[in-house]
Amino acid sequence: MTRAIWRAMLFVPMGVLLAAFFATIISLFQSSLSTGFGLYLDLAVDRGVQVVLTRTVVVAVATTVVCAVLGYPLALFLARSRNRNLWLILVISPWLVSIVVRTFGWMVLLGSRGLVNTTLQALGVIEFPMRILYTPTALVLGLTHVFLPFMVIAVMSALLQMDRRLEEASRILGASHWQTFRTVTLPLSIPGLIGGASLVLLMATGAIVTPLLLGGLRDRMLGTQIYSEIFQVYNFQRASALAVILLIVALVLVAPLRFVEARVRRRLGAA
Amino acid sequence: MRTGLPIRIIAGLLLVFLPAPLVIVIGASFSPGSVLQFPPPGFSLRWYEAVLGNHEWVMAFVASAGIALVAAVTTTLAALGAALALERASSRVRSVAETMILAPLLFPHAALGIAFLSWLAALKVNGTMIGVFVSHVVLCAPFAYRPIAVSLHQIDRSISEASEILGASPRQTITAVIAPMLRPGLAAALLFSFIISFDEVTVTMFLVGPDFNTLPVKIYGHLADSADPVVAAISTILIAMTGGLIIILDRVVGLAIFIDLEEGARAHT
Repeated sequence: MTRAIWRAMLFVPMGVLLAAFFATIISLFQSSLSTGFGLYLDLAVDRGVQVVLTRTVVVAVATTVVCAVLGYPLALFLARSRNRNLWLILVISPWLVSIVVRTFGWMVLLGSRGLVNTTLQALGVIEFPMRILYTPTALVLGLTHVFLPFMVIAVMSALLQMDRRLEEASRILGASHWQTFRTVTLPLSIPGLIGGASLVLLMATGAIVTPLLLGGLRDRMLGTQIYSEIFQVYNFQRASALAVILLIVALVLVAPLRFVEARVRRRLGAA
Repeated sequence: MRTGLPIRIIAGLLLVFLPAPLVIVIGASFSPGSVLQFPPPGFSLRWYEAVLGNHEWVMAFVASAGIALVAAVTTTLAALGAALALERASSRVRSVAETMILAPLLFPHAALGIAFLSWLAALKVNGTMIGVFVSHVVLCAPFAYRPIAVSLHQIDRSISEASEILGASPRQTITAVIAPMLRPGLAAALLFSFIISFDEVTVTMFLVGPDFNTLPVKIYGHLADSADPVVAAISTILIAMTGGLIIILDRVVGLAIFIDLEEGARAHT
């Protein structure tokens, strides 16, 4: 019995951290409700908030789709490559640089006198610089660059976990490469794909730095809006209410993915 | 099954796309001009002199590195305690506790920034080093817990039982048997926590104050109102330091421990 108590005591430091975490969430709800529920009703009918909310969801979903479409082939390549560790270093190399600086690298490339525009002009593709920076396209591009490694690693580990003999069996039984991929490889890697997607979706919804630098204060996302409520308007209560809305949006977006993931895992486990 | 040509083309392009900002930042840091541009119009070290000669940049670096170090050690110890406590708990207790430990991963960072701000302001410690430290320890906890729990799970329980049967106290079992076998998990937890804390900006930007700033937040503030290559020079110094750290880690403990951990996790699932 004393040993059991001794072991339970070891949990105390983590318990303190958890208590602190839940205290912050309670504190957030309290400050958003400091003048009652009316603020939420105001925000719900605010045209500007609706636009920002829609843009947040569209940009986050687009980023997740692009990450999945690009990340899957790269993960497949890594999982099948002999030099996997070498390529993996390239994939996670962006983590060597602060996310702020990485995003700034894109500003340098995408600006009206940046490498992309000058190259296109030199090639005669366009006559005048295109406006890329401060558009939703730039936002999706920057967010994809920041979050792609997470997707690649999630899909790759699912691909490495699967039994390669299943693919061989499928090929021996006469299925083509494409059939094998579609009926064996892809279904078995779905948990990794969904896991990566929910991670990217969550992080993209709550991003601030990349939207601020690449989208500017005009094409706002919820994170940017919260930032400007705090640092420009000094409206702490409105910022808190928007943060609560952000929590709910993220939950509503990610919950279905988690549900599907759990179901697929159970089915794969049963099979 | 070999990967097809289209897959190799996509992979090749992405393997150029992902490290691109690294190349841009390093290249632009040697620019003699006063606007960040790539390719750089010439070669100069003036921005390195500007960084190293500026007290504020050096202080922000020291603050960030100090917080990251202390936060990494604190989080790792708390995660180690939790993992040991939950090792023999019933599966129901364990799954509830793990869900709670991993809960911060489900909250978007922009919302967490405001949550911490509102809580720390109520405690009157916002804008201080303590506030930033507390937030980093909480944010790092899930990332520290996972590798430790995985490597603890890999340890054959019969070994620690043998130690107890042979008369070792729980404390002796932990220090002499379990701790050495946990090394890869602990190393991964320390490294993840350090990197996350050192690079954290979304939550931290709400918590710094006039008397206290971290390096990433200061970099953001600098970028917001000027575009000189100072930031590129700082980043290049950090890239060189991280590279050096990785080489030292490889010489001292061997990077293989991280690969072992990864493979162990795979074998376990």
